[in-house]
Amino acid sequence: MKQKKDIDQVFEDGLNNLEASPSPRVWNNIQNELNKEKPSRKVIPLWVRLGGVAALLALLFTIGNSVFDTSTFDSPAITNEIENNPQDKTRGIQKSNEILVVSSEKNVENLNSDAFDTNYKQDSPLQNDKASSTGNNAIVSTERSVKINSATEQVNSESNTKTTESYNDNNKHQSVVATTKTPSKDFSPSSKVVENSPEGVDNVEKTTDKALFDNKVENAIVKQEESNEDAKPSLLDAIAQQESIKEKNNIDNESVEKRWEVTPNLAPVYYSSMGGGSSIDPEFADSPQSGDINMSYGVQVSYYLNDRLSLRTGLNNVDLSYSTSDIVIATGPSTMGLRGVDYGSSQVVVTAISRETLNSTAPTNGVGELNLKTTSGDARLIQNINYYEVPLELQYAVLDSRFGLSLIGGVSTLFLGNNEVSVKSNNFNSVLGAANNLSSVSFSTNVGLGLNYKLSKRFVFNVEPMFKYQLNPYTDSSVDFKPYYLGVYSGLSFKF
Amino acid sequence: MTLEELIIQCKKQDAKAQGELYQRYNQILFAICLRYSPNYAEAEDNLQDAFLTIFKKVSQYKGKGSFEGWMKRVTVNTVLQKYRKQRTFDIVDEAQIVDDEQFEVESEDIPLDFLLKIVQELPDRYRLVFSMYVLDGYQHKEIAEILNISDGTSKSNLARARIILKNKIEAYNDKRNS
Repeated sequence: MKQKKDIDQVFEDGLNNLEASPSPRVWNNIQNELNKEKPSRKVIPLWVRLGGVAALLALLFTIGNSVFDTSTFDSPAITNEIENNPQDKTRGIQKSNEILVVSSEKNVENLNSDAFDTNYKQDSPLQNDKASSTGNNAIVSTERSVKINSATEQVNSESNTKTTESYNDNNKHQSVVATTKTPSKDFSPSSKVVENSPEGVDNVEKTTDKALFDNKVENAIVKQEESNEDAKPSLLDAIAQQESIKEKNNIDNESVEKRWEVTPNLAPVYYSSMGGGSSIDPEFADSPQSGDINMSYGVQVSYYLNDRLSLRTGLNNVDLSYSTSDIVIATGPSTMGLRGVDYGSSQVVVTAISRETLNSTAPTNGVGELNLKTTSGDARLIQNINYYEVPLELQYAVLDSRFGLSLIGGVSTLFLGNNEVSVKSNNFNSVLGAANNLSSVSFSTNVGLGLNYKLSKRFVFNVEPMFKYQLNPYTDSSVDFKPYYLGVYSGLSFKF
Repeated sequence: MTLEELIIQCKKQDAKAQGELYQRYNQILFAICLRYSPNYAEAEDNLQDAFLTIFKKVSQYKGKGSFEGWMKRVTVNTVLQKYRKQRTFDIVDEAQIVDDEQFEVESEDIPLDFLLKIVQELPDRYRLVFSMYVLDGYQHKEIAEILNISDGTSKSNLARARIILKNKIEAYNDKRNS
């Protein structure tokens, strides 16, 4: 009779010691799933990319707009000033002439005729002629001043009433303007004025006319003189201001014309590292590594904030690569693959081992599992990286003649494009896979020199040696690999 | 690479470390999957899901308890999630099953794969309760909570599983002896 045993015990003893291996299919599926997840993760960087570009464009347009707006607002502001100036002038004139200008409407005729009479009676025939002619002028001019007054009615209405009142009050003193000094003194400056402000001149003329007319009354002379003098500077100021504004306006117009600049550019770029490590596998930290020269190309858009300072951005496709030499190419299980390489689902992978490790390590350390390839020539392990670079830089022109020299500084956002790690020898090439430790979005700080030659007003030839230091190229912070790249960007700028 | 280093690398989603972790633990976890799954193919599917969950959630392992224990729990939970949704049609009135019934069988020379086969052939709920209680040491209360059933149901499911298994072993022995 066979011994009976508790059923639980039977299963516990049996199944808890169960050893079974799943088929390799399981690991393949797991790897496929893991790799599937990666592209789906890459969707986010894509959005980040688009978001980054959108944000940059938004920033550019905001800055561009605000700057552009101020420049366009400049001219309206100027024209406003110009528009205001006549008002100021008339106001100034009104102040100075107080009654004279304002009074015109009702009183000018009488005044003139009065004046004419007086002059006729008292002065020499010569003077009379003069007076009569000026009297006529005065009528014309007062008509003009009335026009101005109506144009600036609102502003002046108050003072009009006041002055009219004061005219009534000072009716007698109106003639005060008189004095023998006034004509000679006032005419020369006011005649200058003529070109620019006929209205003002008319008024001034009128003042002097008045002065010619009324010689009798001598009190309040001083007062009137003072006010006249007040008026003169305000007129001259206004004119000077106007002229300076015109000049300024011209200058502004010239520079506003070509604030934008677009530059297609091309550059050989040299990639290298400041740190001693390797981004592919720590094993290669001591292997000879050298940067390779690749190309960067793209378009750059600059906006001139002023004559010397410009803000620029753009989009560049940057290819970078560097190679590790003194290696031996081998095949082996995926566990012997390189640390920084994503092999996908392959079970048997192509890998590389530094000659130093190969010579110094005991075969027990997994190296025995490797099937070394005999290759001719120097085998190299090459990392290729492709970035889409969106720079944001300021350029300051130190020298701005036909030959220009400028300083450039800024940052770049680097969006990771394709990348691969491959091995290469004279008779064997193979792509191992993509690097698994590169940041999908990273940044660089940029400094450089800009040399340019102005071919014409619109076309400028540029050569810009730039140094760009990458800030966070690797997700794995333990990688002691601090890459930078040097590029000499040349391009032809078009200003518009 | 030590286990600690391996865990750190796995937390960084390092492909090489994930490969090594799989190499080290696939057999242990596959044994669990086999006991909880109805067949070999589904056990493999479950192992795949379990590892994917482990790789995904490895950052949640904070070093409390053994890492192997953590992975086993993740594996069991992954499998349980799949089968506990499938309701077992209870053909037996649960109250009729007596818990303290003795189930003894002749166990000599019974091959492991036969034992595994008959466990796998159990209806889902019976299989889960049996594996959890007998093989992984869960208490009825825990099982009831995890599977969202009552203590009584867990006990009767276990008893029912034992009856089925006992019958199958006896039938096997009879066939062999005859």
